[in-house]
Amino acid sequence: MSRSSALKRWPGWVLLVLVVAGFLAFGTTRDAGARTPEERVEEISRQLACPVCNGETVYESRNTSSTSIRAEIKAQVTNTDSTDDEIIAFIVQQFGADTQLLPKASGFESLVWVLPSVALVCAGVGLFFSFRKWQRNVDTIPDDEDRALVEAALVAADAPPTAEGVDEP
Amino acid sequence: MLGGVVLAEGTNGFLGHTALIVGFAACLFGAFALVSATVLHNPRLLRTVQTYGWIVLGGAVLAVVVMEKALITRDWSLAYVQKVGSYDTPALFNFTALWSALEGSILLWLLLLAVYTAIILRRYRHRLHDPMVAWALVTMFVVTAFFFFLALGPTDAFRAAGAPDFNRCCKGPNPLLQNHVLVLFHPPILYLGYVGFTVPFAFAIAALVTGRVGEGWLVETRRWALFAWGFLTLGIILGGWWSYEVLGWGGVWGWDPVENASLLPWLTGTAYIHSVMVQERRGMLRVWNLSLLVATFSLTILGTFLTRSGVINSVHAFSDGTVGPYLLGAFGVVVAVSLGLIAWRGDRLRSPGAIDSPLSREGAFLANNVIFTLFAFVILLGTVFPLIVEAKDDRRIAVGSPFFDTMSRPIGLVLLFLMAVAPALPRRKASGELLRERLFWPSWCGAGTLVVAVLLGATGFSPLLAFGLAGFAAGSALRQLVLATRRQGYRGLLGRTNGGMIVHLGIILIAVALAASNSYSRAGEFTVTKGETVEFGGHTFTLVDLTEFESATSIGVKALISIDGGQAYAPAISKFTATGQDVATPSVRTGLRYDIYLTLENGSKPSTGEAKFKVFIKPMIVWLWVGGMLCGVGTVLAAFPGRHRRRPTDAVSAPIELETEEPVDA
Repeated sequence: MSRSSALKRWPGWVLLVLVVAGFLAFGTTRDAGARTPEERVEEISRQLACPVCNGETVYESRNTSSTSIRAEIKAQVTNTDSTDDEIIAFIVQQFGADTQLLPKASGFESLVWVLPSVALVCAGVGLFFSFRKWQRNVDTIPDDEDRALVEAALVAADAPPTAEGVDEP
Repeated sequence: MLGGVVLAEGTNGFLGHTALIVGFAACLFGAFALVSATVLHNPRLLRTVQTYGWIVLGGAVLAVVVMEKALITRDWSLAYVQKVGSYDTPALFNFTALWSALEGSILLWLLLLAVYTAIILRRYRHRLHDPMVAWALVTMFVVTAFFFFLALGPTDAFRAAGAPDFNRCCKGPNPLLQNHVLVLFHPPILYLGYVGFTVPFAFAIAALVTGRVGEGWLVETRRWALFAWGFLTLGIILGGWWSYEVLGWGGVWGWDPVENASLLPWLTGTAYIHSVMVQERRGMLRVWNLSLLVATFSLTILGTFLTRSGVINSVHAFSDGTVGPYLLGAFGVVVAVSLGLIAWRGDRLRSPGAIDSPLSREGAFLANNVIFTLFAFVILLGTVFPLIVEAKDDRRIAVGSPFFDTMSRPIGLVLLFLMAVAPALPRRKASGELLRERLFWPSWCGAGTLVVAVLLGATGFSPLLAFGLAGFAAGSALRQLVLATRRQGYRGLLGRTNGGMIVHLGIILIAVALAASNSYSRAGEFTVTKGETVEFGGHTFTLVDLTEFESATSIGVKALISIDGGQAYAPAISKFTATGQDVATPSVRTGLRYDIYLTLENGSKPSTGEAKFKVFIKPMIVWLWVGGMLCGVGTVLAAFPGRHRRRPTDAVSAPIELETEEPVDA
């Protein structure tokens, strides 16, 4: 066995898992630094729909009402200790439920979260049964007919070549 | 009498309507001639079909030319010219005004559809007697007739109008559509993709009608599907670029319903160009592939309905005209007819093959299809969910980017994983030992990418996982390309498998760029006076100048901001005088690591020399466009035949030497 093959057996893979887990854990847990107030305003305004324009977020829109919502968010970010979620709840309360871009996880609206999960489960179950059916259908046990075919082929292979026979040995 | 009609309608109106009526009639005659010739075996009728095809093309070309002439000459006798024309619009944007509103965009759609129909007719002119080709062309003619009908009725671009009231009309296209040269490219290229899927759909319908549901129709349409997919991909990426360069919010994708409408057929189309390989090689998934094509085509119609009917609020939506019910009706007919045909041919669609193991290339394609279809379902559900809630509870809700971001993140990660593993999987069945061998170096590529990302300061679980998986997938694609080019030289870059790997590399770059720019963008807002310098993100920004400007269509303010004391960049904000709409024009310093994106905000006053501007530091954006280019290059390379391609006449069960795949025991 070559050194390369040996490496690919388990030492290399174990090392790989350790490196990935270590760096992933380090990168995930280290402090990303504080967000600037503008970045908080940006993140919050991305979660809110402009109440009067067509399908734009408060962040994208240059409409007067979006400008005033951005100013309100900025005031809340600068002057209060409210969390992002609290600021969003405040804006939604002030400007209406259709400014909330993230559907609720309760009531009828929860369907938008639940249905994709149901679809995924159905697809998974469907695939599982399909593969089971395909594997059952794979005919791996030779019957008498198969054996006869093989024997005939072997006999033909042992027989001396004829004019119509195989060109190459 | 003719003179009276011309006088009543105006020359352009009359010519446009005549062209559309002739084109519509030619579609119907063409379809009728093909059906009659096929059913009655009358070769004389077949000879007329090409003529009808040319008349259809002529009608569509004439309609578009007449409309362009009307726009260029400012023929105010047409309502559409009053809607999107103006004396002040620059020549380029006056030309592109054709597709800046509903009626004209349907004309563009029609033109492209007529071009595709004519090309198919020309390409298969010696095979019109083949029922498969005949029924495919019937489908093309019928679809084209529908768009001629739309252009004549609900979206009549040549409707006559009274004398223009210049206080209320004739203000030119939407300001956002006269602000960047990409308006010349993005819509037509996107439409080439949208409309292009009509060709494989037509052959799928023909396969069902004729009962030849084997692999022949797939071979006929393989390149057409790839061609349409390539244009759709390019169109979507150009849309992102346009958004980035024009809208001034620093993003490329906002999950707007109309953006979603372009993504939906892309997702099902992508699933199709993968799963079609399973059918070609194993004769399986016949119903699935037909359904994916039907879904792709019908989603283009549904997307047009969502965009054009005004049922969904979108920054792209054109109007709330009367076209909605017709498009919805067409969507219903397409779905009903297709499902009816699939049910009718159910007995022939059962495939004898089997997939031996989930751990195989075929198994990976199946998983890919499940994920892409699920992705399409999530996007469709999120897009139409506000309509469902409004219909049920009579209350308005919005579903936007936070929902789509949350849902698409895990789906994207799974797709990256599949892109990493699938190219290394052999067909039929993989052993653990084989996978250990083949995936070793690609996995280390992923680990290396993760390590580099962490050392460069990247944080957060999702983006880091995305970088790692992207490196893994890139390693896998590069491995395939290295193996192929070692054996075949430059030909190792050709063919579906190898061209596909280059597309994979493009998609990986796009995924990495999106993950980085969404996770690590920084933004700061500053108010400065002339000569003042501020510092942000390791750079200095000095306001060099702040001036007012005026053009024929707008007035505005432009700042000159020097970055790090060097070159000055000029973000501006304009107010279009006709509509009063503010449009920001960002200025971008593009770099390999990150872009510095400057926008000027309302409140900048040249009189006092005080400017209010935003700075966005956006990592890796340039790699989005590089990825897009790679997708284009890969698609072109994939369209060239590889060295060992199955001959179209071979039975599916015929042995085939795989394009570049190493033996299972490698």
